[in-house]
Amino acid sequence: MVLENSEGAQSRSKALRPRRFKRNYYGYLFIAPFVIGFLIFGLYPVYNTLYLSFTDTTLLSSESNFIGLKNFERLFADNVFVTAVKNTWLLWILNFIPQIGVAMVLSVWFTSARLKVRGVGVWRAIFFLPNLLMPAAIAALFFSLFSFYGPVNQFMVRAGLLPEAMQFLQNATITRGLVVFIQWWMWFGSTIIILMAGMTSIPLSLYESAMVDGASGMHMFRRITLPLLKPILIYIFVTSLVGGMQMFDIPYLLTDGRGSPSGSIMTNNILMYLKFSSSKGHIGAASSVGVLVFIMTTVCALGIFYFLREKD
Amino acid sequence: MRKSVLYILSLLIVLVMALSACGGASNTTESAAEPTAVAPAEESSAAEPTTAAPAATEKQVLNVWSFTNEIMTMAIAFEGMHPDVDVVYTMIPMTAGEYQTKLKASLGTADVPDVIALEASFVKEYVEADFLADLGQFLPDAEAGKTYPFVIDVGTDAGVTKAFAYQATPGALFYRRSLAKEYFGTDDPVEIQALLSDFDKFTAAAAIVKEKSGGNTYMVASSGDFQNPFFANREQPWIVDDTLIVDPMVVKYVETAKLFRDEGYEAQAAQWQEGWFAGMNDTLVDAAGNAKQVFSYFLPTWGLPYVLAPNAVSADGSHDTSGDWAVITGPLPYQWGGTWLGAMAESPNLDLAKEFIRFATLDEQNLTNWATGVYTNDYLKAIDPQVPADQQQAPGDFVSSQVVVEKITPSFDNSDLSAFLGGQNSYAGFAEAAPSVNAKLMTGSDDAIQRALNDPINQYLNGEIDEDAMWASWKDNLRIEFPDLIIP
Repeated sequence: MVLENSEGAQSRSKALRPRRFKRNYYGYLFIAPFVIGFLIFGLYPVYNTLYLSFTDTTLLSSESNFIGLKNFERLFADNVFVTAVKNTWLLWILNFIPQIGVAMVLSVWFTSARLKVRGVGVWRAIFFLPNLLMPAAIAALFFSLFSFYGPVNQFMVRAGLLPEAMQFLQNATITRGLVVFIQWWMWFGSTIIILMAGMTSIPLSLYESAMVDGASGMHMFRRITLPLLKPILIYIFVTSLVGGMQMFDIPYLLTDGRGSPSGSIMTNNILMYLKFSSSKGHIGAASSVGVLVFIMTTVCALGIFYFLREKD
Repeated sequence: MRKSVLYILSLLIVLVMALSACGGASNTTESAAEPTAVAPAEESSAAEPTTAAPAATEKQVLNVWSFTNEIMTMAIAFEGMHPDVDVVYTMIPMTAGEYQTKLKASLGTADVPDVIALEASFVKEYVEADFLADLGQFLPDAEAGKTYPFVIDVGTDAGVTKAFAYQATPGALFYRRSLAKEYFGTDDPVEIQALLSDFDKFTAAAAIVKEKSGGNTYMVASSGDFQNPFFANREQPWIVDDTLIVDPMVVKYVETAKLFRDEGYEAQAAQWQEGWFAGMNDTLVDAAGNAKQVFSYFLPTWGLPYVLAPNAVSADGSHDTSGDWAVITGPLPYQWGGTWLGAMAESPNLDLAKEFIRFATLDEQNLTNWATGVYTNDYLKAIDPQVPADQQQAPGDFVSSQVVVEKITPSFDNSDLSAFLGGQNSYAGFAEAAPSVNAKLMTGSDDAIQRALNDPINQYLNGEIDEDAMWASWKDNLRIEFPDLIIP
């Protein structure tokens, strides 16, 4: 092809144009598999969800009607949806801050040229391990640990820390705390890996010259590491936000699958799933939750890009 | 210097992780045994071996979905009668409604099975919808076998019968004979029934049990145990004319449950969880290490062979309560659960699917084998060598055909099951109760409505919210699932 092209370049431009077009055409061919896959499995479901959200479609009946914004009106008729959104944000923020904080501290230590921590690979692997466990197994584990006749109660009562056994998973604060802890524990290892990848890509010479100039560790972190890490931080921020807004498995499986106790760990996706799995399978109503979460996540992600953009 | 501090810090974090991992490991072994009774664990893995066979011999494949592994026994027996058929059995648990969701999501897709099992709490939903095939052709068989009328009523909508059941499920109260002697001076079922013949008496008896045992024996393991008796004695179904009905019996249930919690008459165990099963074999230990006992369990027909009998011996074999149980009607007559079978109308193997349902629910020989313990593991292994070692049907499940029930009741007089109950023939007792069960309260929404009530009630019992907040929270939950329901 290259040969053909260079030959053509010598001839007149009349002959050139179709060839150039042909070259572009191959490019489209190469990206076609992704685009087709995206259209079918990405864009169409989004479109279909949007469409369903304006109907009263259920799984158990074959007919459905266009009902305009009724599904959305119902979402705001009581405070269940608003509570779910608040819960989701709360659970995400409370686990994201310690997650990025701990991951940042550990990454700085592990990559520090000054500290030269040994066995970094081993530490990193250990911190990443929880991420490899099945969320279902982890949720079932914590459910058993904190059940009324479970080991945590036995330990606390026998050690004199509690006067008598308590129903941990009936307490909203404790249950939320458990979800936050599990999410943090499962994900800070993966954040470490991404952060360390970002930090090791920063040229060592920058730190060396800073050290020659007498900069402290804190200075180097603020003036070199953080600014150069920004693209990575944006990536972590956005992916964590998207994941956080879709938080489902741990809160769903930790209690009864309805966000108990008192809906304190009911997230957006649990609400959507409840509507989907309700007696008749109200997928229209479930879609309306999905659409609102989609809009909310998009706006927030764009906001993050906007506020953290390069300001030259 | 600083490096060592960092080392210690990192080490600490690792230690915390390692410890929580250890705590988990020791616990999983304990809890692993529990869920088996609700949703016997052999799901797809157990079904897989049967899937493997067909390719070579081109057997006709019948897809059956259920929420326990018990129907797999019937499926294998069916294969024994029809060597050209391969039943592919899929079990999906319904602990948190997974089965119902999976089934709903498969409707109208290529994944839909041929035969589906439907539990009492949601069978009506499917009977009232348009997905099940008409099984009216088997009504003469049902008549010949004198299938209990309510079994057919439940499977019928607008004159079309779409589902049959192999079980009838009247409920009962099982109590510990040794504890009855200790606290009431007798273990005679007639006398104990007289003592516990309504819920006021039941509550009074709970107070006696607590007082005489010094708080070490609970009347019930969980207040959820007597939810079914209360709900089964409502005047009206949950939904009438698209409006939610809160029957006085529901209010009475909440009051009774609260009283039992506040007075310490119940062990606060969650149904189908560790503590609940531990009470059956006297291994219940509170957090401080004190041994606790449970006086009684509300369980239906199937609760005896599937739940109580298998759990009467503790895992380490040190405690065995077999022979120490007795069964009575209890404070209120009720029924609990039951499994119906329906065929999907769009099934490409509709005739075979119907034949399977006829065999499973109406065939007198099959029902007799089912109830009398003919389907042992060896029996099943002879048909399909790859059957899991614990797949079998213990004797004692109460079947839906009155003809079969009458025929086999005497055979339980001197059986293992009656030995378990100190000589009582439970089958005879259930045979008396079964004709009075009726289906007038059952609707397709029962499951969702009752599930939605669980968390608010637990919160109320635990003192996290007051009663008004409980009802409000329940109604919020209902609105999520029933957008068109009128909630007063």
